[in-house]
Amino acid sequence: MDHMRNWLLATIATPLIGAVLLCALGNLGRNVARWLALAVTVVTLILAGVVVVNFPADGANADQYAVTDVAWLSAQSGLDIHFSIGLDGLGVFLFGLSALLMFTSVLVSWEAIQDRAPLFYTMLLALEFGCLGVFAARDIMLFYIFFEFTLIPLFFLIGIWGSEDRRYAAIKFFIFTFAGSVLTFLGLLAIVLWHAQQNGLNYLTFSIPELTASLQQAPLPFVWQYWIFLALFAGFAIKVPLFPLHTWLPLAHTQAPTAGSVILAGILLKIGTYGFARFSIPMLPAATVHFMPWILGLSVAGIIYGALVALAQKDIKRLVAYSSVSHLGYSMLGMFALNSIGFMGGTLQMINHGLSTGGLFAIVGMIYERYHTREIASFGGLAWRLPILSFFMLVLTLSSIGLPGLNGFAGEILVLLGMFQRAFAESPPQWLAPLQVLSVLAVSGVVLGAWYMLYLIQRVFFSELREPSQQHADHRPVTDMNLREIAAVLPLVVFCVWIGLAPDSLRQRMEPTLLKITAATEQPLADRYTEETEITASALGATEEEKLSRVR
Amino acid sequence: MFANSETLIRLMPEIILVALATWIFIGGTFWANRAFWSTLAMLTYLVAAIALYRHGNAPLVMSVVTIDYLGYTLRWLALLSGAVLTLMASYHLRDQLASEALGLIMLAATGTMLVACAGDLVLMFLGLELISIPTYVLLYVARPGREAAEATAKYFFLSILSSALLLYGFSFLYGLAGTTTLVGEGGVLGIQQQLVGATGGSATGLAALAPLAIVLIFAGLGFKIAAVPFHFYAPDVYQGTTNTNAGLLAVLPKIAGLVALVRIAVIAMPAIAAYAWHLSLIIAVLTMTIGNVCALWQTNLRRMLGYSSIAHAGYMLIGLTVALGANAFGSGEVNPGYGGVGALVFYLVVYVFATLGAFAVLAQLSTPEQDVATLDEVAGLNKIHPTSAALMAVFMFSLAGVPPLAGFWGKLTLFMSAVGVVTYSTNAAITPWFVVLVVAGALNAAIAAAYYLRVVSAMYFRPVTNAAPQVPSPGGIGAALICAVVVIVIGISPRALMTAARAADEAARTAPSLPVNVATDVSPASAAMAQR
Repeated sequence: MDHMRNWLLATIATPLIGAVLLCALGNLGRNVARWLALAVTVVTLILAGVVVVNFPADGANADQYAVTDVAWLSAQSGLDIHFSIGLDGLGVFLFGLSALLMFTSVLVSWEAIQDRAPLFYTMLLALEFGCLGVFAARDIMLFYIFFEFTLIPLFFLIGIWGSEDRRYAAIKFFIFTFAGSVLTFLGLLAIVLWHAQQNGLNYLTFSIPELTASLQQAPLPFVWQYWIFLALFAGFAIKVPLFPLHTWLPLAHTQAPTAGSVILAGILLKIGTYGFARFSIPMLPAATVHFMPWILGLSVAGIIYGALVALAQKDIKRLVAYSSVSHLGYSMLGMFALNSIGFMGGTLQMINHGLSTGGLFAIVGMIYERYHTREIASFGGLAWRLPILSFFMLVLTLSSIGLPGLNGFAGEILVLLGMFQRAFAESPPQWLAPLQVLSVLAVSGVVLGAWYMLYLIQRVFFSELREPSQQHADHRPVTDMNLREIAAVLPLVVFCVWIGLAPDSLRQRMEPTLLKITAATEQPLADRYTEETEITASALGATEEEKLSRVR
Repeated sequence: MFANSETLIRLMPEIILVALATWIFIGGTFWANRAFWSTLAMLTYLVAAIALYRHGNAPLVMSVVTIDYLGYTLRWLALLSGAVLTLMASYHLRDQLASEALGLIMLAATGTMLVACAGDLVLMFLGLELISIPTYVLLYVARPGREAAEATAKYFFLSILSSALLLYGFSFLYGLAGTTTLVGEGGVLGIQQQLVGATGGSATGLAALAPLAIVLIFAGLGFKIAAVPFHFYAPDVYQGTTNTNAGLLAVLPKIAGLVALVRIAVIAMPAIAAYAWHLSLIIAVLTMTIGNVCALWQTNLRRMLGYSSIAHAGYMLIGLTVALGANAFGSGEVNPGYGGVGALVFYLVVYVFATLGAFAVLAQLSTPEQDVATLDEVAGLNKIHPTSAALMAVFMFSLAGVPPLAGFWGKLTLFMSAVGVVTYSTNAAITPWFVVLVVAGALNAAIAAAYYLRVVSAMYFRPVTNAAPQVPSPGGIGAALICAVVVIVIGISPRALMTAARAADEAARTAPSLPVNVATDVSPASAAMAQR
């Protein structure tokens, strides 16, 4: 087990070395740059694969897996910040997903990126470094540094290689995320300082496992939890994005180059949900329980709103972007159902969404490369023209809408089960009606999801053959997917099928970690339940007495 | 006794700099050679740095000169900024005026170093004037034309006014305490001890004038650091002068003003901290908000950096506010992360290098004929000068406070010190104030990102509009490279600077204890604590 830490370190270091190498070698030309980038991502993928495969199959002792812990700033300087990385059940598959999607991203950029290619691949590898680091960090500062660091490369990816409105999109994306994350930063600092003050430490500890354990022993006072939760919410909810903070997302997606969209949807949005699962829920359980109905409400609003807006889109990429809002709503819904089933579903849905939506964006990019347009109305019957591409598109679509046997089903069913359990079996009486309404509304998202995705497939791939006018200057004859493009999407499809058929292999590895997180909220939930029940009971009692007195 | 041999040895770096600056003035009239005098100036900084390294370190408090880690760190900072400014200036000067400009920069840096170690009001004022007077001349000789003349006149009159306000404040302080020494030692009472004694009983009579003194001093020094409402000159003057001079104005007076505020308000006047922290807090919030919001609309980069320097002054005042708040409501426990002064010093270092670097990039793109200063002129810079563009991007991201660059750690220390007041304070009444302060700081960080990103966006995302490529000057690019290395190294390994900043913080915290006869009196702060 111990040697896995070196593999993990190597996995995170490889993209950084690659990025520095690309940057240092300077003007290599497009060909060298892309081969080098491909080599780096393949090596990273193999290393990450080894790390993920060796994760204990029963998920036991997950928080000891592949841990490296080196003091970065010493305790003498007051800030005991560590370079501390390791994987547990929550982070391990997201870590693997990041490595996988980066491989896809390099391949889909192969021909699409002509201008300043070395810079592009430098940024891509830097982004991979940041993404891998976020999911492995065991120190709050390290997490935050990786979290913020991902903004810089993506800012350049959108701004330089995006579509016509790219400058506005890049800045809007950056400001939105940055504004939220500085508030998150304050919240995290408050947790750290409060912990040091309570324990009389003469240094500040930033270790996530230590803080989590300590805050479960001695929780923060409710007022603190309340405000810190809101501060963390600002950053993570923007990142997810939770309705109504999603407005930056469709813009960023449509303007970003294909690789940018794949990474944004596949990995970066997960940092938001990951942050809720890593910090908000286990560290601030009482506030989590307090805000649960509101967050569930926002999630359902996002599910339905995202689906309805997706239905009305004229642009394929925008449609997929809005479907992300809807799908991430499911992930949030499952997590904030605050029971083990829902939480498992929410986490699984994070991975599923990364695979299927990442793949969908890759295919939309391939269509755009062929026709230089993404307008739905200008396509029709592509299945006859591009059968392989249509096949992959269809599989990923079915995965995205949750067809049984594919991965989306496993996630959605668990989320909905968890939500129904919360609403019908475990809800305090006063929340009963609203939660039941929400859970029923959430199911409608499944129908809407199938509607907008299949409607898209029907219009673009299965009606009469209709192609955009081929007047574009650098238009080449349209051919079906080549081997490179198949290599980009095939691994995603394989994993979609595998998770769909054997979700249990993931569940077993994740479960112990996730149970620990949900366990934190049990006590506050129970408190809340008795409190609400007592209020209701006393209210009822009063009215009974009143009635009785009237009768008398 | 001021001029004993110990003092002279301790002030050796300043003495070397003043002596050589004078030589450069005189020599320049006989032999106008830019390259020679630039080299000599750089060598002088090197010799002064060696002297500072050998003699500046050991703490020593004398009546007039205070050698502590606060002063030591900031003297290094001033010395290095002087060297970087010399590098920036060296290739843009005409032979005729080269030696004058180089000497003046050196004098201004010396003035900043003197303020950093001044333990006496007179020496402090002397140091501040040693920054101001060379600056007037520098502004005037830098560039011919009406704009430069306007900038000079504006700066001159406002600076004179601020000096007068400062002196007025100092005179109240002298009248209250009967001494110009900030902190006495060895039985001699300084302002610190006298004020505690004077305000100890009831705050009547003369002691009631202490708040007036602090307000006047805030006004005078507020001009130096360009804090609202004394900030109006900054954007105009920065825009009207050269890039090097703008860099100098953004850096040297700011170091001096902040260290003077710390020495006077935090160390010498803890007696009225309960009054001063309100003042500092309000100025901090206003300064950062107005600076950032006004910067959003600028298209001239120097003007934008002028507003940005105002905003950063506001951030640094967060540190001052925290230190004052701790003086006013200090509890037994000490925030192990950062005290206000430590955060201020850390942020100051980070700010200085990022700002100097940004001006250095602009300076090395400009020629005496063509001045690069607007957003349009740097559009597409990535395609013409990739190195310059990358350096500028590093400075912009650092100023915005994005990890893993130095600016991030600066924000971390400042916010941590302010959040620390909230968690560690035993007084519930001040909590909301500091929450407002820290949230205002955080939101401002987001606003600031918008205009820093516009620069990066122009350089990387826009097509080239300024087609004539200049040859970057080696001096300017050298200055920018030095700053970039500092910003990146601090970003990756902030440990050394953090240790220095903590030492500075402790120096401000553990100012010499009060003499026995005064210490038995009860200060208003502790009296207020006792009542609670």
